[in-house]
Amino acid sequence: MSSSFDQMIVTEEWESTDLSLLETLDHVLNRGLVIAGEITISVADIDLIFVGLNVLVSSVETAHEVLRKRQTE
Amino acid sequence: MEFSPENPLTAEPEIETSHAEEFVEQLRCVTDTLPSRINIDAQSVEQGLAKLVLTLIEFIRRLLEKQAVRRMEGGDLSPEQIEELGLALMKLEAKLQELKTQFGLTDDDLNLDLGPIGRLI
Amino acid sequence: MKLYAYCLVEDLDPFDATTRGISGAAVRALQIDELAVLVSDFNADSVAVTRENALDHAAVVRSVLDRTTPLPFRFGTLVTEQQLRSYITSRKPALQTRFAHVRGCVEMSVKIIREVSTDNEAPKHDEITSGTSFLEEKRRALLGSEQKATEATELSTWLHEQVDSLTRDERVVVRPSEKLVLAAAHLVERDKIPQYKEKLAAARKNRTELHFLFSGPWPPYSFANIELEFKTQFGVS
Repeated sequence: MSSSFDQMIVTEEWESTDLSLLETLDHVLNRGLVIAGEITISVADIDLIFVGLNVLVSSVETAHEVLRKRQTE
Repeated sequence: MEFSPENPLTAEPEIETSHAEEFVEQLRCVTDTLPSRINIDAQSVEQGLAKLVLTLIEFIRRLLEKQAVRRMEGGDLSPEQIEELGLALMKLEAKLQELKTQFGLTDDDLNLDLGPIGRLI
Repeated sequence: MKLYAYCLVEDLDPFDATTRGISGAAVRALQIDELAVLVSDFNADSVAVTRENALDHAAVVRSVLDRTTPLPFRFGTLVTEQQLRSYITSRKPALQTRFAHVRGCVEMSVKIIREVSTDNEAPKHDEITSGTSFLEEKRRALLGSEQKATEATELSTWLHEQVDSLTRDERVVVRPSEKLVLAAAHLVERDKIPQYKEKLAAARKNRTELHFLFSGPWPPYSFANIELEFKTQFGVS
């Protein structure tokens, strides 16, 4: 499973006080067409739940598997 | 903002405000909600799950509180009932606070953004 | 080889092949049925959220705004050509409806900051020892937040009334307990932009207790989504 958010790494540049950059980010990051099949968000990132509630379901299932594996190790 | 017909739509959008610093402060949150590193190792899966569970509990807890206040205002609870209800909710709030601390979560962490519906809390 | 997808366009003939995208890659128009996708080749598995990438993305999407109104993809959309094709062919009617909705328009943004009173903060826990006073305190706080919610709704209504006749659609997010109490996106026909700006410039003078931020014109980022995501995911029509 992979996703566009899955693949993002936030750099430490966010000391920026650039208003125009922040406005641009506000527009390009949280809006726009989403290609659903490709958006799978890691469970650690619940803030994006809106983008894929079904993703949440599959994330929870993945979480169960991981936790189960840990118990059997 | 002056409109200039020469300003084509392909130019960068204009931004106009007399309180730039304040808006910078508020808009920083846009990037705050992005994780600093995304990984799916077991620990963050656990924490992610805890976050989800606690958010839901927190949501329900607040609904319960509101409901209790309404009942209290409605006048159909005896003073003893009010006291008991209040104590129970107080303990619930404290317990949840404990859990938040245990998982290293803040109030902001538990605030789901549901897009057009707004924030959960 | 993956593709970075910037936006969907209805018709773009000819496409300006000199536009550069993420990491300086050349942008091209990929034809899929009667629509086209602006894409560039992308070599890695991850798209970093950097200033350059965000600005490059935005620049590519707005580079076509003079000639047509695109449907932007969300930042970070990495796909194969096959994924794009199946996405588009399976959602054609919805996409065409979207195009019809945004055609000839741009997005304008309004954000409003209002000072939030803090006199409704809950007292420290060690001051509350009884269940009753706990609930009473909650009641006070609740009244405070209800008040804020009412004010926020009034603000949203006020803004709507200012620009309703000039907008085709709007997306508004209201956050009653925050300083940034309202963020609105307005879908405005291009020839109405001057009036829209004038209207807001005047309106702002009547609300000096509020702080405003206006930005635009933008491509219609907030109006591109073809349906509510969770409706899609759960198959609810």
